[in-house]
Amino acid sequence: MRLELKGVRYVYAAGTPFEVEALRGVSLVVEPREVLGIVGSTGSGKSTLVQHMNLLLTPTSGSVLVDGVDARSLQKSELRRRVGLVFQFPEAALFAPTVEEDVAFAPRQLGLDEEEVQERVTESLRVLGAGEFARRSPFALSGGEKRRAAIAGVLAMRPEVLVLDEPTAGLDPATREDLLALILDLREAGISVVLVSHDLDEVAEVADRVCVLHEGMLHAVGTPAEVFYKEPVQAPATVRVVSLVKESRPEIGDPVRFEETLDALRTLQGI
Amino acid sequence: MVNPGEGTQRGGSLAVSCEGVSFSYPGSERPALSDVSFELRPGEYVGVVGPNGGGKSTLVRLLNGLLRPDSGRVRVSGRDPATEPFEVRKHLGVLFQNPENGLVAPFVEDDVAFGLENLGVPREEMRDRVARAIRAVGLGGYERREPSTLSGGEKQRVALAGLLAVEPEILVLDEPTSMLDTAGRGEVLGYLEALRAEKTIFHVTHHLEELLDADRILVLNGGDLVADQTPERFLSDADLLRENRLVLPVVPRLALALGLPPAKLHTPEALAEAILARIESGTRAG
Repeated sequence: MRLELKGVRYVYAAGTPFEVEALRGVSLVVEPREVLGIVGSTGSGKSTLVQHMNLLLTPTSGSVLVDGVDARSLQKSELRRRVGLVFQFPEAALFAPTVEEDVAFAPRQLGLDEEEVQERVTESLRVLGAGEFARRSPFALSGGEKRRAAIAGVLAMRPEVLVLDEPTAGLDPATREDLLALILDLREAGISVVLVSHDLDEVAEVADRVCVLHEGMLHAVGTPAEVFYKEPVQAPATVRVVSLVKESRPEIGDPVRFEETLDALRTLQGI
Repeated sequence: MVNPGEGTQRGGSLAVSCEGVSFSYPGSERPALSDVSFELRPGEYVGVVGPNGGGKSTLVRLLNGLLRPDSGRVRVSGRDPATEPFEVRKHLGVLFQNPENGLVAPFVEDDVAFGLENLGVPREEMRDRVARAIRAVGLGGYERREPSTLSGGEKQRVALAGLLAVEPEILVLDEPTSMLDTAGRGEVLGYLEALRAEKTIFHVTHHLEELLDADRILVLNGGDLVADQTPERFLSDADLLRENRLVLPVVPRLALALGLPPAKLHTPEALAEAILARIESGTRAG
């Protein structure tokens, strides 16, 4: 699926004294099979932006296009199946007595037969490495387990675009790495992933393209190298190190991912 | 040995002591904490890391008396948080993960005063303490701002000011930066660093890079305290890191992979300098 936002403006509490223009005309494309990182400081409009991707928020002006078709002309249920949105701290919405019941809830709403529902539940839990706690109560899980259960619930809808809003906040480093590996697996499986994160190091590892929001506007968009080397102060740690080395050794190039950076530094040192 | 004032002798000189502390949540098969013992001396900065579900948040709740241990003893400035929670909370303040959940009052200054209102502090003194706390976190001029108009980093600093106003000697921080962007994290960590001289700090986090300057790092895994080490030893112990689902931050990880000492080179500046120095000496030698 190709998801396009065209000149999206969004005003909270329009017409009241509390009116805030959260998005001021953002145009952006989520290409098929890509990981798009969305970064920007708190309050820059990241969460507001991604809630437009399945029309949970309707733009005040501008439009959202799904494969070139205005998303408003699609059934909302159809749109929300195709664009899965995982909120910040999604575990807050877990409610069923067991994890598998929770994951089954959304696919069951699609009117699938029970066999298909079960197949999807098993599949999603397996992908998230959550099979072992399928029969436990969501409330008896640790933070990382709950997070995976909640993401499994959205994945069971088999979305074409998966939007993750700060999916690793509060997770331990190894669980965070597992989740990043999952994002790459999903891309391999043909799903586009939109990753909203304030952790530039993790965006550097998985994103094909990065967009930087600033005060409700698109500040920069491009490959991680294009975006991060332009402003190396607000960049992942790899880029910050390389930028400093580059001042006297420009031949090092623009590596971003950890392994790339390590290779470039090794080459430079002749090891 | 005659021990007339147990609290003074055994806990009094320590900020926090835990001896053989175990705790299980009702209905849970395995304990959240088993037989955990450690001490915090006044003025120490101690970090706590470990996987999700390792027992970090449970420990925080035992320290401020929200939970009571099944066995073992907890002392905070010589007092038992389970029996004297209100007294203990004057000495030990907790800053939680998400600033959105903690702010309740219409204006910043009311929010900062909130904790004090329950302590029976006279009005004049309260006003002084609130003003001082707001200045201490660099938010002078924000007194009449509405918390909802602040950024995440600013909100977390308001929450921190609310703690400081109570003037506890011990600050417990439970993932205080996990909801903040890079700038907000820098703000909060900067103020913690400034407080280091006068407070005992117990800092729970998933970000090892925040603890590289700590005095000690504790590791909780599956309810057990599995390590209590200096950052230098900790960073060089690959097995310990792996067993506890910890991943070295990017800069020391690069250093290690390049055969440079990770604990000394944890800022981009230090690492870049070491790399350039090595290339330079290599060029000369060749």
